[in-house]
Amino acid sequence: MIDVKDVSKQVTTTEGNLRILDGISLSVDDGATVAIVGPSGSGKSTLLGIVAGLDVPTSGTVILNGANITLMDEEGRAAVRADNVGFVFQSFHLLPGLTALENVVLPLELNGDASALETAKDYLSRVGLAHRMTHYPRQLSGGEQQRVAVARAFACKPRILFADEPTGNLDTGTGKIINDLLFELNRQEGTTLVLVTHEMGLAARCSSIIQLQAGRQIEDSVAVSEKVK
Amino acid sequence: MFSLRMLFRSWRGGELSLILWALVLAVAVVTSVSLLAERIERALTQESSSFLAADLVVRSSKEADPEWLDEANKRDIHTARLMSFASIVFYGDDLHLASIKAVEPSYPLRGSIKRSLIPFSRDPNVIESVNFGPAEGEVWVDARLLPLLNVNLGDSIDLGDQSLKISHILVEEPDGSSYSFIGARVLMNYADVAAAGVVQPGSRITYRYLMAANNAGDMVDYRAWLEPQLDVHDRLITPDQAQESIADTMNEGRRFLLLAGSIGVVLAGIALALASHHFASGQTKQVALLKSWGISATSVRRLYLQQSLWLGFLGSAAGLMVGFLFHHLLLLIVQEWLPISLPLAGLRPWITGMATGLICLAGFTLPALWHLPSQSPLAVLRQDVVSPPISSAARVVLGVLAVAGLLLWYSNNVTVSVAILAGFGLTALASVAAGLVLLNLGMQYGRRLGSVWRLALANLWRRRNQSLIQMVGFSGAIALLMIMVVVRTSLIDQWRFQLAEDAPNHFLVNVAPYELDGVRDMVIDNNLETAGWYAMVRGRMVEINGQPITETQKDSHESFRRELNLSWTTDLPEGNKVEQGVWWDQLDLTKFESTAKTGNSLAPVSLEEQLAGELGLSLGDRMTFSVGGLTFDAEMVGTRSLNWDNMTPNFYFLFPEGLLEEYPRTSMTSLYIPPEKKLLVNDILRSYPTVQVIELDKIIDRIRTIVSQVTRGLEVMTLLILACGVLVMFAAVSLSMSERLQESAILRTLGSSKRLILGIQAIEFGGLGLMAGLLASAGAELSVAVLQRFIFDLPVTLHLWLWLVGPVGGLILVGFLGVVYSRKAVVQPPLEVLRSL
Repeated sequence: MIDVKDVSKQVTTTEGNLRILDGISLSVDDGATVAIVGPSGSGKSTLLGIVAGLDVPTSGTVILNGANITLMDEEGRAAVRADNVGFVFQSFHLLPGLTALENVVLPLELNGDASALETAKDYLSRVGLAHRMTHYPRQLSGGEQQRVAVARAFACKPRILFADEPTGNLDTGTGKIINDLLFELNRQEGTTLVLVTHEMGLAARCSSIIQLQAGRQIEDSVAVSEKVK
Repeated sequence: MFSLRMLFRSWRGGELSLILWALVLAVAVVTSVSLLAERIERALTQESSSFLAADLVVRSSKEADPEWLDEANKRDIHTARLMSFASIVFYGDDLHLASIKAVEPSYPLRGSIKRSLIPFSRDPNVIESVNFGPAEGEVWVDARLLPLLNVNLGDSIDLGDQSLKISHILVEEPDGSSYSFIGARVLMNYADVAAAGVVQPGSRITYRYLMAANNAGDMVDYRAWLEPQLDVHDRLITPDQAQESIADTMNEGRRFLLLAGSIGVVLAGIALALASHHFASGQTKQVALLKSWGISATSVRRLYLQQSLWLGFLGSAAGLMVGFLFHHLLLLIVQEWLPISLPLAGLRPWITGMATGLICLAGFTLPALWHLPSQSPLAVLRQDVVSPPISSAARVVLGVLAVAGLLLWYSNNVTVSVAILAGFGLTALASVAAGLVLLNLGMQYGRRLGSVWRLALANLWRRRNQSLIQMVGFSGAIALLMIMVVVRTSLIDQWRFQLAEDAPNHFLVNVAPYELDGVRDMVIDNNLETAGWYAMVRGRMVEINGQPITETQKDSHESFRRELNLSWTTDLPEGNKVEQGVWWDQLDLTKFESTAKTGNSLAPVSLEEQLAGELGLSLGDRMTFSVGGLTFDAEMVGTRSLNWDNMTPNFYFLFPEGLLEEYPRTSMTSLYIPPEKKLLVNDILRSYPTVQVIELDKIIDRIRTIVSQVTRGLEVMTLLILACGVLVMFAAVSLSMSERLQESAILRTLGSSKRLILGIQAIEFGGLGLMAGLLASAGAELSVAVLQRFIFDLPVTLHLWLWLVGPVGGLILVGFLGVVYSRKAVVQPPLEVLRSL
């Protein structure tokens, strides 16, 4: 499903070149769950952005569902994202002017889904927000907002779901509810899940873990995974 | 339709309010002004026709060729003949030299006659408007004829061999002002003239042939047919020439409407630009999100283009409706002097309104949104990945192009467009340059002040890019508003001055030297003041530079044919301005005096500038005048321009004192006679029957009504423009609001008091307003000078109050808006504020 080979990312700053990622390789099977962990500034989100096709590496290749997105332009990558990818973000990224339902409906409408409204209602019910559909983000708690974001991500039936610190802005209890939801929907939909997190507890629920330190992959994912277990 | 749905959601979310308001206002201002201007334009043509009582008049000293009228009837043009002459009317032993006007039943072709059954009443309830003249055997007379002849309504007076019954009091004729007012007016039927036998060969009669067509094209064709057949005795009069003083007022009113409309467009444009900028920065996140879902840049562009188009059409449509309603409101105010059936406007105002909306959108909103499709989707993960908007320079150029195009199309006047653009452009440039200096000074000085001041002034400097944009917005809005108020005030003042309550409304002419003291005493006994007495000698010009006046010259200008009024004065009369040559104070008059006594005299003469041009005379030319058989020479030493608006005596030919006194002379003056003293006119005429009284009171009343209506219309327009100005302020304030709210919320979290936070906002915005107001005063002063000089033909004056109102107004208004806007930061819990951003 995802094949990343020797990916590096380098940026130019006022103090010279800065290597954010250095020779990362990983492979994720269809339906697998992968956690990218590491301290702040280790390059987790950069890696997620590159793997999801939101950003391009300085070198290396990323193959997403058979498509080499490193050879594509932005329009090509957009097409691959449209067909394969969904996101859940740390800061939710709900559109403030839209109700919960409209936030979920929006990407479905953009994809031309004829039954967008029904699908959206179904997913909002599945995240337990059937009674808050007409509420605006400002009227929802952080946990509720993230549940809307989760519903929005799964409603589009992506093959791969990328989650960037999905519980980073939430308290532990609420975070747990979101995590349960994420894994439950992931199981039901058979989605491949790639998530970035600080929380080792969350990482431990994944089938494999990629650990980064200063842009380098420090240990084999499986080994880490086993260590955590 | 997805784009429409998106647009609706953005509107509901409040993100579009400012853009929409700006758009609606821009379109509404333009539409209402265009609709009003076009309908008034059409109404004015009708109105001026009513001053003529026709669309076209031929005035002649002889009877018309019957073929003219036959041809007119063939072309479906309505006609009416009328004659005017002076004749004695009798009642018993009393007699009066009346000013007779005999009209055919179809008179007036345009406008209406006002008549009543109660003499001297001004009560509108007893005054009746009719569009026909008196029946055969009847006359309608000026109220003052009744006491002059000791008659009553219903009595019959004699005119020649005919006895005519006074059936009505004549209150107003549509074309009344265009006749000479010698005696009281008697309006009679054309058919009675022959029976009266008062018109003999050689009688001095003015004939008028009135024509009106339902179709303007017919009149143009007819005029083309008629003109070649006219000779020197005939003169064509068009509505434009009929009432120049009213036309001037209306033209100035129209220009003001145009100016106000143009300013409205510029203001709404600025508001739109600021609002669009604000909207675009709020859309960055949304676009990044859409792109992270795989929506291509092309689709994003299409989506925003479609939304912009919908916005343009819907906003413009709403603007057209608001504009339509607003023009009705304006009409309600000015309708009293407009014809009852105001002609409908054509399509042009609607097209202009719609185009304004779309052009504003293309010039201001699209450039602000243009960069959005290239926004990197990575922004969903990282705050710092924001694609740069197209350069401010490019946006300014596009905005200026849009405004310039609109102004030009709209005002059809390069000077107005350039003045407004230059005024605004200079203000903007000066705002940027001076703004930087002021902000820096503020920051430096603020360091020495208390913590609130230090924080606030440092904030302004730290956010200087934004502060400068806001300052341009504020100063632009304040400057444009001040320009409008100044121009409006000086226009209205000028009109009021011209038509002051006590402006002279009667002329007394032909007062013989032995009558002068008596007439003067009668005026003084009534506690009235004249505009000064001027002596007048009537003379004919017989030679120019020793060459007798030729027949060709006589045909070319009536001043070569008739007696001219020659007067003298030592001081340059008020309202006169020397344009060429000199006035007496720069002449050695002794040389002229010495020759005056030899009988072969030479006098210096100053001519009215335009007449000198028409007669082909230039400085140094000599003309010979014949006064009652005696001749004298005069040398043209200067020309003067005259002010025709102030209702005081004006003379085409002026001489120094002491040269013409020996010739037979009469005197004239103008004075204000209030309605309650109107009978003085009768007393003067009874005591001095040869004195001529020219009554202008009715026409002045009419002009005054029109001016006051137009003035009220302008005031309403001013309000609409003020709304545009406030909108710009709102847009500018909202520009930096989210950043400010965030900072305030953080300060609040850290325990800062409400007072500190509101204090910072008040100082920041108040400071911005003060600086912007100062710059606006400079910009407004400059623009007003250009407009006064080149458009409204007013003297350029300094306006000291601008320099006070600008900064103080800016400080209060902007400070108030800023504080009201940022109250949210102290009223809501900080977390809620932070979450809503």
